Amino acid sequence: MASILVVDDDPDVAEAIQAILERSGFHVVVANGAEAGLDALRNQEFEIVVTDLIMPKVNGLELIRKLRVQHSRVRIIAISGGGSLGPLSLKPEAISTHAFIAAARDAGAEEVLTKPFDMDDLVAAIRRHLPN
Amino acid sequence: MNSLRFRLIGVVLVINYALAPLLYLGVSVIVQRGYAELFVNSVRSFSRLTADELEAADDRDFEESAARLLDGAMLTGQIAFAEISDGKRKFHSSIPVDVTVIPRPDDFDFGDHGDQIYYISHSVKRGSRSMFLRLGFDERPTLESITAAKRRVLLAVLSFTLASILVSIWLSAVIARPMVRLREAAKRVAGGDVHTRLQMSSTIREVQDLTHHLESMRRELVGANERLASEIREREVSELKRLELERRLLHRERIAAIGTLAGGVAHEFNNILTPILLYSQLALKDTPADSARAKDLGRIVSAAHRARSLIMRILTFSRQTDSQGVTVFPLRSTVEEALALLRAIVPTNIEIVFDAQCEEIRLSGDPSLVHQVVINLGTNAYQAMQRTGGRLLVRLWVAPVRATPEAGTESSAILEVIDTGHGIEPAALAHIFEPFFTTRDVGEGTGLGLSVVHGIVTSMGGRISVESEVGRGATFRVHFPVAAPGALAAVVEGS
Repeated sequence: MASILVVDDDPDVAEAIQAILERSGFHVVVANGAEAGLDALRNQEFEIVVTDLIMPKVNGLELIRKLRVQHSRVRIIAISGGGSLGPLSLKPEAISTHAFIAAARDAGAEEVLTKPFDMDDLVAAIRRHLPN
Repeated sequence: MNSLRFRLIGVVLVINYALAPLLYLGVSVIVQRGYAELFVNSVRSFSRLTADELEAADDRDFEESAARLLDGAMLTGQIAFAEISDGKRKFHSSIPVDVTVIPRPDDFDFGDHGDQIYYISHSVKRGSRSMFLRLGFDERPTLESITAAKRRVLLAVLSFTLASILVSIWLSAVIARPMVRLREAAKRVAGGDVHTRLQMSSTIREVQDLTHHLESMRRELVGANERLASEIREREVSELKRLELERRLLHRERIAAIGTLAGGVAHEFNNILTPILLYSQLALKDTPADSARAKDLGRIVSAAHRARSLIMRILTFSRQTDSQGVTVFPLRSTVEEALALLRAIVPTNIEIVFDAQCEEIRLSGDPSLVHQVVINLGTNAYQAMQRTGGRLLVRLWVAPVRATPEAGTESSAILEVIDTGHGIEPAALAHIFEPFFTTRDVGEGTGLGLSVVHGIVTSMGGRISVESEVGRGATFRVHFPVAAPGALAAVVEGS
């Protein structure tokens, strides 16, 4: 059974993702922030990390960069909040092409989902990036 | 009484009253003296001649010849008294005289005595005898002549005075008339009629000069008035421009504030929507497809989808403050993208048709602004049709190349947004692109949408027009200038 780490500072979002993925048969651990996520990765192997981008203290982009260095095998799916919070460079550029998406891809995310996404899209993305 | 005419006449009168008596007196004295001198000279020479004749008279009948001589003298009519005396005897003329004879010693004064007789005595030597010839000349004819002469002088002086007064009246009128006219003209100018030219009708140089100067002043006044008026107009125009700029700035600031707020709210809402959407989809999966609960859950999912679309729309709106800057971008894809967004928010009773009669077109500008144009025009169109339903047709094509004097050739991309809604009243058509113009009820629209569209299109060098008939829908036509191939290359090289 594949293990998935969900990193999001918003517990409602994290738990919803957890509920969906557990129902789809994955083992899910939730971390409410990037530091908690890194701690969890030290203790346990995960096939996939699902992370929010905008989080307090250490943001999602930094987490992705660290994961790429420390856990090069893990697959990363970023979820973007949309809107125009954060620094100007993170502002959306257009409806379909999003600065978040580009930034997350640059940092090393395999895929980027924009909130609010459909359940099926999330599960499909996870399945796409699972080894075998 | 202070007028120029009265003063001139007054001066002439004063001069006349002062000079006329002096003139009369002076001339009278001269006349009187002349007459008197003439009289005295003539009577003296007459009495001298008479005395000489007496001296030369024959001794034998001296008395007879003396009497004849005296009678002769009396007969001239000038002499009123003639007497010869030798101390003992006196000979008189035998002709009676009609004056009161009051013999007096010598009297060489002319006039000024009661008897009006001028007496002259001459001593006549006849051998050893010494006699006196005494002649009295009548002054009255001479005095009458003097009086008549004086009367003529008085008449002449009075005539001259009268004439000079008449001349002064005429002259004062001549001098005063142009002044009066100038005064009337100056009054007109002061009264506001500054455009009537001042007439020069006088032959007097000073008046001409004055007219000329006044005319210069009037022209200067007219010029100054015009300058002032145009300055005021310019100020009014610039004030209007300033107000318009201020209004636009305020508008931009408001939009920017709304955008910032919308961006933040959208972010939060996306986070809230995520569990709503995911849990409802999860619950839907666990529910038999035909059940009433599945329908309810399906409604939650579709409501969440609509909320998602709404947030994207808000973000699109807020993006106008976050310009991407000028770039060369594909118009057709941008319009398609905007229409995709529009489809998410438009009710199903409205059909959206995109009819692109061209390949991809490259425009130079900010694609998010074109996005906004399509969203705004599309939103207006669907609002015009939302009660009745209808068809929203969006057409895109390239207008034929036409020659322009400035840029050689130019082609424009034409975007048409056509609805089958209630149409626009003719009265509203003229104001439809003005800011805050709205025909919607309070709270349903800001009246900014089309003015923003107009602003965007104009800023891109394009233009927008509208055609509509009440009950038959509306057509908004936007002309975008197509980027020249060189412009595209330049942007590509620059980036």
